[in-house]
Amino acid sequence: MIDLYSWPTPNGNKISIMLEEIGFPYQVHAVDIGEGDQFAPAFLKISPNGKIPAIVDSDGPGGAPVSVFESGAILMYLAEKSGRFLPASGAERIAVLEWLMFQVGGIGPMFGQANHFLVRAPERLPYAIERYVNEAARLWRVMDTRLSDHEYLAGAYSIADMAHFSWMRLHRGQGQKIADYPHVKRWLDAIYARPAVVRGLDVLRDLRTDYAAEDEKRDSVLKALHPTARQP
Amino acid sequence: MIDLYSWPTPNGHKVHILLEETGLPYRVHAINIGEGDQFTPEFLKVSPNNKIPAIMDPDGPGGAPISVFESGAILIYLAEKTGRFLPVEARARIQTLEWLMFQMGGIGPMLGQTHHFLRYAPEPIPYAIDRYVSETKRLYGVLDRRLEGREFVAGDYSIADMAIFPWTRGHEGQNQKIDDFPNVKRWLAAIEARPAVQRGLAVLKDQRRTGPISASEREVMFGKTQYERR
Repeated sequence: MIDLYSWPTPNGNKISIMLEEIGFPYQVHAVDIGEGDQFAPAFLKISPNGKIPAIVDSDGPGGAPVSVFESGAILMYLAEKSGRFLPASGAERIAVLEWLMFQVGGIGPMFGQANHFLVRAPERLPYAIERYVNEAARLWRVMDTRLSDHEYLAGAYSIADMAHFSWMRLHRGQGQKIADYPHVKRWLDAIYARPAVVRGLDVLRDLRTDYAAEDEKRDSVLKALHPTARQP
Repeated sequence: MIDLYSWPTPNGHKVHILLEETGLPYRVHAINIGEGDQFTPEFLKVSPNNKIPAIMDPDGPGGAPISVFESGAILIYLAEKTGRFLPVEARARIQTLEWLMFQMGGIGPMLGQTHHFLRYAPEPIPYAIDRYVSETKRLYGVLDRRLEGREFVAGDYSIADMAIFPWTRGHEGQNQKIDDFPNVKRWLAAIEARPAVQRGLAVLKDQRRTGPISASEREVMFGKTQYERR
C-alpha cells in the first residue's frame, strides 16, 4: 500500500495521476499547505524540504517501507517499480528523462513564479509579472514545437507527459491563450480523455475552494497590465 | 568523444565536473549565452529549450549517436553509461534521485531568481529580492540539516552532490552567511578539494565575465531576444 501525502496542486496531481495509471492501491493523506501542515515534524521526516507530494511505500526495497519526496523522484520510483511509463534503456529513456527534467527545472518553477506574481503577491510588480509571463510563453512555445512533430513528449505516453499535464492544463493561470498553441491543445485533449487522468485529478479536489478567486485576481492583474489585449 | 556545448555557469559546471570525475574524453564547444549562441538553429536541434549544457555522444545507446539536454538528464545519462555516481542499490538510488530533483526543482531555479533580482534586474525590487533571498536561506537550511552527520547528501558522493555544489559555491553573491550553515560549509570545502572538481571548474574559465553585465548581454539574456519565435 502506498501512502500519498498530497494537496490538489499540479505537483500533487502528477502523482495521483501516475498512481491511477499504474493501478497501485493507495491511501490519500491531505497535507493542507495553506494551513502549514507541511511543517509538522512527522511530515518533515519524509519530506525534508517541507513540500508535497511525498509517498511512503510499505512494500519498498527488500519488502520494508521507504519514503520518497520530490515529484520527479516519485515518478521515477513508481515507473521503475511498475515497469511502466519510463523505458528501461535506450534513446527513448533519455528522451523521457530530458523532458521530465525540463518540467522539474523549468515549467514547474517558472509557472509557479508567474502564478505567484499574478495572483498571490501582495504588491503588483509589473517587471516580475512580465518576466515570468514572458518566460511561461517561451516555454509554451518550446512545448508546442516539440508536440508539432511528436504525439507525446518522448515517444509513447510517459512520466514526462504526466509531469507536464497538470501544469499545462492551467494555461489561464500563466496568462497564456491555448489557441496560440494548437499542438499543446491537441496533446492536452488526448490526455484529458484518459480515465486514469480524470480520476487522478479528482483526488482531494474538493478541499480547495480558492479556484474562482484566483482566476478573477489573475484576470484583473493581466487586464491592468495590458488593457487593450485580448484576455485569455 | 563526447561533444560538450556549455558555458561556465553553475549548470555547466555540474556536467564539467561529472565528465572529469568519470574520465570520459570530451571536446568543449563554447556557447556564449551573452552573445546569443544558444539561439542558433544547430544548437536548438540539440537543446530545444535554448539552454546550456547539452552533449552529443557518438557512442550512445545501441552504438548510435545521441544528444542530451537538461543538466539533470545529462547527469543521469553519464552516470548510467559509466556505472558511477548513481547507485543501482534501490534505497541509495532513491535518495540520490530525491536530492538531484531537490536541486533541479528548488536550488537551481530559486538561487537563479536570487541572482537575477540581486544583480541583473534593471532596478532593485525589494519584494522580489526578499522573496528569493529568504527562499534561498530556507533551502540552505534544508541542505544543512541533511548534511548533519552525513558526508554527502545521499550516501556516497554522487551526481546529487555534483548538481548542488556549483550553485552553493556562490553563497556570498546570494546574500547568505555560510557560517550559519556549518555542515554546508564543511561539505563545500570537501568537494572543492577534489582534483576532478578543480578541473571541471576550470572548463571555459577564461570566458568568464569580469565586471558588470553589458547592455547587450543584458538584452540577450533577459530582454526580448529570447522570446522571439524560432
